[in-house]
Amino acid sequence: MKLRRFLLLLIGLFLLLLKFAFDVIAMNVSLGPAGIGMFREALVAGAFFLLFRALHISLPQRTPHPVRRLGVLLIGAALLLASLALLNTLPADGFEAKDLVLRPKDYATLFLASIASVLAGGFAILNIRFLRDLVLQYRKKWTLRNFLVLVVLIIGTAASTLLVRPLDTSVLESILYGLAIAVSVVNAFRLPWIVYLTKREKMLTLAFSFLLFVLLTTTNVFLSQSTLFSRSVIYYSPSLQKFIALSLLFSNIYFGMAFVSTLFHLPTAEAFDRKRSEVSSIHTLSKLVTQVFDFHELMETVTSMTLQVCEARSCWIEIIPYAESEMDGDGHRRIAAAIQIAGLKNITAQEVEDLHAAGLRELRATVLADRRALVIDALTDDPRLGKQRLASGKIGSLVVVPLVSHVGPLGFLYATKSTEYGFVKDDIDVISTFADQATVAIENSRLIKKSIERERLVREMTLAQEMQKKLLPQVLPTHPHFELDAMSTPAFEVGGDYYDFVELSGNRLGIIVGDVSGKGVPAAFYMSEVKGIFQSLSSQHVSPREFMIQANAVLAGSIDKHSFVSLIYAILDVGSGRLTLARAGHCPMLYMGVSGASYVRPDGMGLGLGEGALFADAIEEYALQLHPGDVCLFYTDGITEAHRNGDEFGYERLLSIASETRGRPAADVKETVLRSVDTFIEHGAPHDDLTLVVLRWVGPAQRS
Amino acid sequence: MSEFKIAQREQESVHVLELKGYLDAHTAPTLEEAFQSLLKNQRFNIVVNCKDLSYISSAGLGVFMAYIEDVRKNKGDIKLSNMSPKVYNVFDLLGFPLLYEITRDEQEAVKKFSPAK
Repeated sequence: MKLRRFLLLLIGLFLLLLKFAFDVIAMNVSLGPAGIGMFREALVAGAFFLLFRALHISLPQRTPHPVRRLGVLLIGAALLLASLALLNTLPADGFEAKDLVLRPKDYATLFLASIASVLAGGFAILNIRFLRDLVLQYRKKWTLRNFLVLVVLIIGTAASTLLVRPLDTSVLESILYGLAIAVSVVNAFRLPWIVYLTKREKMLTLAFSFLLFVLLTTTNVFLSQSTLFSRSVIYYSPSLQKFIALSLLFSNIYFGMAFVSTLFHLPTAEAFDRKRSEVSSIHTLSKLVTQVFDFHELMETVTSMTLQVCEARSCWIEIIPYAESEMDGDGHRRIAAAIQIAGLKNITAQEVEDLHAAGLRELRATVLADRRALVIDALTDDPRLGKQRLASGKIGSLVVVPLVSHVGPLGFLYATKSTEYGFVKDDIDVISTFADQATVAIENSRLIKKSIERERLVREMTLAQEMQKKLLPQVLPTHPHFELDAMSTPAFEVGGDYYDFVELSGNRLGIIVGDVSGKGVPAAFYMSEVKGIFQSLSSQHVSPREFMIQANAVLAGSIDKHSFVSLIYAILDVGSGRLTLARAGHCPMLYMGVSGASYVRPDGMGLGLGEGALFADAIEEYALQLHPGDVCLFYTDGITEAHRNGDEFGYERLLSIASETRGRPAADVKETVLRSVDTFIEHGAPHDDLTLVVLRWVGPAQRS
Repeated sequence: MSEFKIAQREQESVHVLELKGYLDAHTAPTLEEAFQSLLKNQRFNIVVNCKDLSYISSAGLGVFMAYIEDVRKNKGDIKLSNMSPKVYNVFDLLGFPLLYEITRDEQEAVKKFSPAK
């Protein structure tokens, strides 16, 4: 690319030098005018075409800002005009006219004429190239065609001079010239870029186009009147002169139009600027709705955008924390207490506090009730803010907009201006629309935060559930003398039900079933404590009653006044089948013997309800001898109190269902009971933690 | 889910709470508030009439446990009356009759406060 540009430039300049050499020769030797004239013109045309190409490829693909183009052209025009003015200060006319052909009188004139022509020509191609960019901006279907027609006409007019002697004119040339001007006018209407300029840019455009118009007109006058400059260019190349003249003329028309057009656009420039910034702000904010992971970043953007959309001096945003924002009615006072400033722009928290102290705080309730913006046109005179003198000057007017989502109020957006009556209707509309967008973003941000939090809790609870399952026996004790089966399921993720087995010395088995009052996480904590107590106490050879008394003493130290634990603890002598049990407030054991089913309910009291002797005296120890085929059912109230539509499963039902399982294995008994509970609650979710332990005494093998 | 209501009245310097409906973990706070306000107003002679109490869970029982200590410290008591057999069974299983006076009818419970006066 660079090499190509360099080559184009080099060849172009070489052609110009060649042309200069011919001119020098022509000074001395009289050459046949027609052929040589053609050759010289061809050299000039070729040189400028190559220079145009070099210029074309060195310009960036993307058109720079129109105002910058105007600026560059202005500088070029000013430099050109300055050098031409310098040329015109030369005293004498160095040319002599003969047979409608100009001849320089000396080498100096020839040299200066060449330089001036090349400069003017260079400017002309720059001019055409830049105008092309302006004309083609926001192009429509015919734009490029119209412009190309103009270029062809300009080149055609220039070429038509070849048909006659330099100082002569022809009809064809005049016609082409006229057409070129007409098409120039058509192209000069291509000014849509002006509309999209900001007000400041429009002011610049106005100045630039005016100056360009003046400079180019002056240059064109120099070129077409009988000045030294004009004669120099005509001598150098009559077609180049026409080319430059038409190019400048087009430029003139174009910038004249631009000047007038800009002038008409100026009054609406401010409104246009505002609309455009509104559109771009809303656009940015609507993108923000998807980028709500960082709350602080969101606040930052909302406040800076607020400044932009209504050209406010300062602004801030106040947020009502979740819990408070979701309540209504008499919650107003608590709302006021909980509100936090979430973002500030050009104002300090102290200044905001001063405004609130002056009475702004009280106005928030009104804003929430009305659900629309509240405007204070003159801050220092407003009767609503009379409570405390405000430092005047900084803030003239203020607007408060409520941020209200479908859940409830989320907060307030405030904007201030230094002038009184600074907020016009458009500002209020725009800031209200903007506040709605901000509300959606804030709401989304909160929802995302909430759902992340919820996900975390779910994970924690799942983990807790896994942990609690491990607190229950993983493997059931087995022995030829008995069958065991057990299950426990919490109503929520975790629960307060507990069952466990322990193999004691002397070939004994400890069976415990317990229920902590309440449900969920608090119950689960006590349940794990009960397990600890059971594991440590049961191994100390204590009887069931002694176990209860000691466990109560340990638990009393840590248990909450509201809570208690019910336990049933049985010790089975695996050799003899003797079962000793104590009941601390727990559901009675269901015993199914040869003579039928009954509840075994020794006296007792829940752990944590009473202390010392009161508790000890309440606990009774009971013993019974099991016979082969006898079944003992330990369970929690999740079974007996399972209910549906106010109807309870109850002890009677449990008794009758269990009775029917006489003679069946432990696992079968368990399944039957659980299935009937499940059927009873119509396969719904259990309301309470539910535990069932089945012990079936097989006894020593019968000797045949 | 299920309704729970408390009616309150004053009878011979004894405060009577009539419980109605389901007393479980969801409704326990209602009873708790009632006890709290009684204690705040220096009402320590309390009879809880359970005639229309259809169900009580362990969380409901816990409420009685939470306030009995404070009430007795102030020379008062919480007595219970008119329990249905089903509700009584729940109290009985946990050994509450050893901790609270539970009477067949309300008048009996109210009278028990009289000698102390």
